[in-house]
Amino acid sequence: MKFALQRFKNLRFVKLIGFNRVVLIAIIFLMYGFFTILTPILRNGSSFVNYNRILSALNYAYFIGFLGLGVTFVIATGGIDFSIGPVMFCSALISGYCLTKFNMPLWLCLFVSVAVGAVFGSIGGYFVAFRHLPSFITSLALMQVAKGVGSIFTKTQSVTWPSGSSAASWYRDLVKWNGIPVGFFIFIAIAALCAVLLYRTTAGRYMLSLGSNKEAVRLSGVDTRRWEMLAYVMSGTMAGVAAIFYVGAYTTVQPGLGDTFNNEAIAACVMGGTSMAGGSASILGTVIGAIIVALMQEGILAMGFTISYQYVLTGLIVLGAVTADIISRKRKN
Amino acid sequence: MNDVILTMKGIDKSFPGVHALDHVDFEVRKGEVHALMGENGAGKSTLMGVLTGIFSKDAGTITYEGKEVYYASPREAQTAGIVIVHQELNMMGHLTVAQNIFIGREWKKGPLIDDARMNEEARKLFALLKIDINPRETMSRLTVGKQQMCEIAKAISHEAKIIIFDEPTAALTDTEIEQLFNIIRDLRQKQYGIVYISHRMDEIKQITDRVTVMRDGQKVGTLITSECTKDDIVHMMVGRVIYEEPKTHSRVPADAPVVLKAEHLYAGRMVQDVSFELRKGEILGFSGLMGAGRTDTARALFGADPRESGDVYVEGKKVNIRSPQDAVREGIGYLSEDRKRFGVVLEKTVAQNSTLASLRHYVKYLGMIDRAAERKVSQEMVKALKTKTPSVDQLVMDLSGGNQQKVVVGKWLISKSKILIFDEPTRGIDVGAKQEIYELMNRLVKEGKSIIMISSEMQEILRMSDRIVVMCEGKKTAEFDIAEATQEKIMSAATREIAV
Repeated sequence: MKFALQRFKNLRFVKLIGFNRVVLIAIIFLMYGFFTILTPILRNGSSFVNYNRILSALNYAYFIGFLGLGVTFVIATGGIDFSIGPVMFCSALISGYCLTKFNMPLWLCLFVSVAVGAVFGSIGGYFVAFRHLPSFITSLALMQVAKGVGSIFTKTQSVTWPSGSSAASWYRDLVKWNGIPVGFFIFIAIAALCAVLLYRTTAGRYMLSLGSNKEAVRLSGVDTRRWEMLAYVMSGTMAGVAAIFYVGAYTTVQPGLGDTFNNEAIAACVMGGTSMAGGSASILGTVIGAIIVALMQEGILAMGFTISYQYVLTGLIVLGAVTADIISRKRKN
Repeated sequence: MNDVILTMKGIDKSFPGVHALDHVDFEVRKGEVHALMGENGAGKSTLMGVLTGIFSKDAGTITYEGKEVYYASPREAQTAGIVIVHQELNMMGHLTVAQNIFIGREWKKGPLIDDARMNEEARKLFALLKIDINPRETMSRLTVGKQQMCEIAKAISHEAKIIIFDEPTAALTDTEIEQLFNIIRDLRQKQYGIVYISHRMDEIKQITDRVTVMRDGQKVGTLITSECTKDDIVHMMVGRVIYEEPKTHSRVPADAPVVLKAEHLYAGRMVQDVSFELRKGEILGFSGLMGAGRTDTARALFGADPRESGDVYVEGKKVNIRSPQDAVREGIGYLSEDRKRFGVVLEKTVAQNSTLASLRHYVKYLGMIDRAAERKVSQEMVKALKTKTPSVDQLVMDLSGGNQQKVVVGKWLISKSKILIFDEPTRGIDVGAKQEIYELMNRLVKEGKSIIMISSEMQEILRMSDRIVVMCEGKKTAEFDIAEATQEKIMSAATREIAV
């Protein structure tokens, strides 16, 4: 048995994507099977197997996934970002307000959304990298700022992006077009870009290295501050992108919310194998993690439970994944 | 002859792959200072670890005050009266002296801590030890020597009967050592049993009554200190007498150009008006006691810490080094004394560490790393430095200390550094690898690199340097050509500034 496991771990495919990711993919199928069996039992014969459910789960996976991709960079540097959820909502509120109240062109509003995220990321990154504030406290502070700014900008009103067939609703095609989950392909493409950035470029190399040993990298003549800041800029920018996909799926955003998504994005990230200690990160793991989080919430709702169960589960997942990471690190030393 | 207070008999201990203690006997009498000597890895620390409950023994007995005892933890040993004064001090810098001494057993006045009582008790302790320390002083403001005395006071306050000193003088100045010895003599008078672990032969002769020598996990023998010579002890320690050949004259031609000149460097308390020159092909040794400001000078020079004033010239040209980036651009590489913290990224591969200082030269387009070129140059460097690693994809944390050091050297060679600052290059490296590092340094200067070598090992300084700068308390106190340098001259310069 042990031998078979070792042989499986040594397969080329398994080595390439990592044993952890193989397990996670298996978990997706297990969860799907689990929900397929339990939903009819708990909900009087209603079925879980349904194309719309998959689309609905994917809607959730996109924005959680983008948030997760961004925060993966921050966690790779050994930091954390608790502002991403509220920043996403702030982006969606400001850009939506520009669209609906100022009648700005849609393409510009989408740009504004990403830009708002990038600004928040830059501010956070500046304080963490250049002013040496703990990322924990910086991002908590920015979380409040993001919530407040969103509310103030929209005068504490929710914003509903246009839906239906108006000219200003083509952004919804980014998520789904004629029943095709376009968003999935965009998500995978952007994830691939993130992977290239993290694993193949000097920027990514520096971010990962400084996550393991910042001082050694600095003493090698690298301006660590710049690269550490970049991680937060990525995180914020991705929150801006996530906002587009959030409104693309759900159209309505309310001020003062968003922090519940932090935990889900971070859960996606850490269960995928990105280490909270910094230095090692898996983009693929985050992608799969986001899908698991999304599938989980779809299943929980389908089985007739409230979303509160989702909060409990993602909280526990974070605890479990981080504990597992710490144990495996101890074993290595 | 005094009473025996502690007897360890037939102590045996194995770790996976190592027979750390091979049926070792050891005893301590009341009112004696018993030295425990041996090379690194001889088993001294393990023996003391077994005694104080850090390790469990595989076989053997410990008899303490006539009873066979077994301690499961250092705390139990401490309660019984066996205390170690560690080499690294375990003090909380922001607390006061008294708060440190009585941590975990504070006197209370109702629910509140009775600080006045603690200060009073600490004062009594210091009076007993004839030490002059204010119990209200913040611990971090004391010198290392004074902090150590607090540690001793703490041990005494635990009603210790046996006090183990683990290399207590490693970080002390001469004056502080003298004070420490006075305290130890006083403790001996008061019938404490004292175990004294040290490498410093002259101290052993000065302070101890008996010497037990260990080698490779075995006890070689116990001698009466006054009846043996240094050579006897050294002979027992190594089983052979070896002395490294010191260098007799500089290999650097008199007209070799100056590649680096530092003038009147100031950076905090530890770098006060330091000036020196480094010539092409030279190894410039920086000698001094620990905490003399050598590392601080190197870090200030390298831009790792801010510099207050002073000029630096590289190859005659004045340069403004304000960060490690600037230093690297000027062709300076710094190999830190603390490799794991400041030298390598342990969780990254040999290849990734090798190019860390020069990654921008291994870029294809759009910031994409040319991984083929990166591997190639790392492989070449592994070959050139004879780094023992299965491949350049190996994580650096899986390499030995000597090979990690080579990876760091390789990093600076790949970045084409001309000036290398080796800060304690052989610390934590075994004897064989040490030799290789020395050969490597000699080869580098032959190839035209210039080296600043900071070292606390006198042998290393005398063997490697062409010229020697000595520092003491942040100031440069002497500079010698290797031809005129002697241990005595260096040591006296290294302690010159210390006020009595």
